Amino acid sequence: MLTFKDLIKAKAGDPRAIEDFCLDTWETTYRFVYYKVQNREEAEDITQETYVKFLSSLNQQSTPIDNIGGYLKVVALNVIRDKWRRNKRRGTLVNIEDINPSKMASQDCQDTITERLQVEEALAQLKEEQRTILELRIIKGYSVADTAKLIGKSEGAVRTIQHRALRVLSKILTAKNE
Amino acid sequence: MNEVERKISAYIDALNAERKPERDLLTSDEELEKLAATVRQVRTLREPEMPDSDYPKRLSEAVTRKMQKKVTPRRTFGRFFKPATVLVAGLLLFALLTSWGGLLQQDVVYAMEKAVAQLENYHGILEMRTKNANGEEWVVRQVELWSEGNKYALRQDDGTLTVNNGEQKWQIRPQSGEVAILPVVPDPTRSSFDLRDEAKRAKEYPHKVVGSEVVAGRQATKLEITPPGGLSYYLWVDNETDLPIQLQTAMQNGLQTTYTFISFKPNTKFEANIFAYQVPEGYKVIAEDPGQLVATVEEAAAISGLTPILPHKAPKRVFAFENKIVLDYEDTTITESLASGSFKPAPNSALGTAAGGPLEVWWESLRWRQTGLEIQVEGPQRVELAQQIAPDLTLPDLDKQGNKGQVKVPVDMEIVKASQQQVDRGSSPWQLDPMQVALTFVNLEVTPEGIVGEPTIPMASFEVESNNGAVAVVKVSEGPIAKVYLERLIRQDETGIWTVVGYDPR
Repeated sequence: MLTFKDLIKAKAGDPRAIEDFCLDTWETTYRFVYYKVQNREEAEDITQETYVKFLSSLNQQSTPIDNIGGYLKVVALNVIRDKWRRNKRRGTLVNIEDINPSKMASQDCQDTITERLQVEEALAQLKEEQRTILELRIIKGYSVADTAKLIGKSEGAVRTIQHRALRVLSKILTAKNE
Repeated sequence: MNEVERKISAYIDALNAERKPERDLLTSDEELEKLAATVRQVRTLREPEMPDSDYPKRLSEAVTRKMQKKVTPRRTFGRFFKPATVLVAGLLLFALLTSWGGLLQQDVVYAMEKAVAQLENYHGILEMRTKNANGEEWVVRQVELWSEGNKYALRQDDGTLTVNNGEQKWQIRPQSGEVAILPVVPDPTRSSFDLRDEAKRAKEYPHKVVGSEVVAGRQATKLEITPPGGLSYYLWVDNETDLPIQLQTAMQNGLQTTYTFISFKPNTKFEANIFAYQVPEGYKVIAEDPGQLVATVEEAAAISGLTPILPHKAPKRVFAFENKIVLDYEDTTITESLASGSFKPAPNSALGTAAGGPLEVWWESLRWRQTGLEIQVEGPQRVELAQQIAPDLTLPDLDKQGNKGQVKVPVDMEIVKASQQQVDRGSSPWQLDPMQVALTFVNLEVTPEGIVGEPTIPMASFEVESNNGAVAVVKVSEGPIAKVYLERLIRQDETGIWTVVGYDPR
């Protein structure tokens, strides 16, 4: 069981304390970050930055020792949003002090399930050809060339259909969220 | 092509390669940002790609370095200002910079490429350690290496010396008192750990600096290299010489090999006769048809007695043997030999078609029969060159589902996952062979109490009818089952296990 004393040691740079803390919690944090950024390279980097930010901002008053996982997610979300904001993407910074991590953690889990269901429903509304291309390209991870070969279309056609399908899907998902 | 279509496609490709998309791909374009967000949402339907098993360790080391840097009080630095402190600070700074990636990681690879290009020769001792997924090391071997241009000499633990001087290749075997003359190409010995190849790959493939470690007593920068669509592996670059010092392959088939130069001297002076062919006194020479380097394909045809089928691209070198011709393209070789007997693809290979017959697809090799010749193309250019020889060549169609047999066999995915992990750990490798899996399945149907001694239906009764790398059908010539239908349910590559999903009764 993680204690505040362990975290203070980790904050002071104690390798053993940091290792124990990371081994205990990395997977949930990594999965959360991956869910947001959808690539391993960025997920690994952001997870690392999350731990440094978390330990640097650690203080007894605001760190909920009974829900470190939830708090790590809040920090991770801030790191992601900060990066996206720097890249001129949208996203408002979440104030760590204002957030209830336990609510955030459970809410996030429910959100994930709801979001997945919404995506599945939205995909089902696409034309079959559009859905097939998005499934092959994004879910199965095939290249444009392989997708073209699989469905018997040119690479140019695959890119065009893929683009149209994403526009339609984006509209459906936006409408669902409004 | 529409710019938005191209950009969103490149964005999907980056995510598929598990890479961070280029920053300028989506900058300040609201439509693209929306589409990218949609792509990420769709992608949540697949399982996340987890990092390598050493990631938690790397993570805690990187966090430790950064936290220690943060807590180092400035005044200590001033009060105890000594050369040693500067060194420590320098190393800390280096560690910090390398863990940040960015500019420095490009510099490491750039410096390595430059250092390798300037390397005239080297002499070193290379240690090879193989371990399974449980962390148990089970092969440790050391070789001494001399390398200069395209010449090399390699001495193994048992004293066996293999030399390739670009014109001849031979092996001196002290234990049997023999000198064996070997073909110059294809040369599998060369490709085990070539410094030039490693530098080239590191530059071509996505890579990042993941740490700084001491390897064989030398401070080295650790690079993680991720070939597109492949598993990541690690390369350590010596900070002093900028040359690769250690390579760790990805865990393949439950095995991982680490090559380490435990001693390494670049640009050194060799014994004058190291690459000269000399038969030690009292040794017997055995010629294993080493082939002849010839100037033209016509010459090769006359020596081999074959009429080779040539790709459009001209080879760098041509070697002629009796009944065999080898075309050498440096990283790829084409071997054309006289076909004899029936064509039997390796049981675990995927099957495509070429020249109207089956094509064996096995790791980096393609093999098929064409107009009385057996043709094998090995190396990175294999598909391009093979298609020039057999224009009708088709690779296995991964999407072909096929039927699953008249009788469906229920599959428990939990068991399949556990079996795959077991094979990844290096045990029960027979599950990688569809013939073996079919043999076990059929014999357990015949003798449900278990297979004791020789199986009732022997291996000779089984034959792969089709195998596209993901779905396979095995024909059985006797017993109650006529056909077994198998699928690679977890991974559709050479490391994925086969599971029986159905069968046709006889």
